[in-house]
Amino acid sequence: MNDEFENQLRRALRPVEAPEGFAERLLQKLPAQPAPQFSPVVVPLPARPQRTQRRYGLPAALAASMVAAVLLGQQFAMHRMERQEAAGRAASQELLQALRVTSQKLDMAYQAVNSPPRSERSETDEENPS
Amino acid sequence: MSLHPAQPLPDSLLTQARAGDAGAFATLVRAHQGSVFSIGLRMLNRRDAAEDLAQDVFLQLYRKLGDIESLEHLGFWLRRVAANLAIDWLRRRPYTTTEPLEEGAHVATQDAPQDPLMDRELTRLLGELSPQARAVMLLRYQEDHDLSEIGAMLDMPVNTVKSHIKRSLTTLRSRMIGARLVDCEDL
Repeated sequence: MNDEFENQLRRALRPVEAPEGFAERLLQKLPAQPAPQFSPVVVPLPARPQRTQRRYGLPAALAASMVAAVLLGQQFAMHRMERQEAAGRAASQELLQALRVTSQKLDMAYQAVNSPPRSERSETDEENPS
Repeated sequence: MSLHPAQPLPDSLLTQARAGDAGAFATLVRAHQGSVFSIGLRMLNRRDAAEDLAQDVFLQLYRKLGDIESLEHLGFWLRRVAANLAIDWLRRRPYTTTEPLEEGAHVATQDAPQDPLMDRELTRLLGELSPQARAVMLLRYQEDHDLSEIGAMLDMPVNTVKSHIKRSLTTLRSRMIGARLVDCEDL
């Protein structure tokens, strides 16, 4: 019974004729140039890297990156050492200055301790009037 | 204007059409125009829109002739493009005006007993299905393609094709019974 209904459907849906002159009207609308040929069209592609370049491209880029990283690291280390040396020199200068000041103070203290008091000095001057 | 040429077309016809032979291309068009026009007519329900669609399909074919591998591929390609283009047109602008089949279209073969009333009603009811279901039913019952071919043409899994057919048959049958065009005991 299902098959019978499907057969009815097939009969109802038989293809119909296209309108008269369909093909002729279509041909008038075709573009002037001939139909595309079957031969494959060679489309110029953008220049691609050579096979060897493609094969070694990534390792080369990695190596270049590593070299650049090492050079940058060295530069950074040298710069840091220079800064440390400058800081050391400044500290040394400050220490020498401090030692000089201390030495002067000690000299002054020594002289103050070892020189006689003013009264003793005047008595001595009286005993030796020359 | 034969729909199914008695003599199979020679493969050289495709080569000649590719080389720009307008006569060869016209022969290919005449061999398939009925099928493509029928898909358009039953999908869009309007003769003028069906002719526009058929012309669009064949103009696309003219531009893509280089991609067609064989005459078999040509038939498959034309039906696929016609069905999908019709679904696309229906999405953009639904065609609701239905013209009765006998007013302008002539059924190609007269070799089976006909019931014009039932045929007309079936065609009308088919137009009420969703565009996808309509395309599946046309490719199955008008073009006689198998389920896997229909799936390939409409980019649809075979199980979806099956369920479209099952649901559409049930819908059409119940509406035919409702219209008293089919006896319940006959189905």
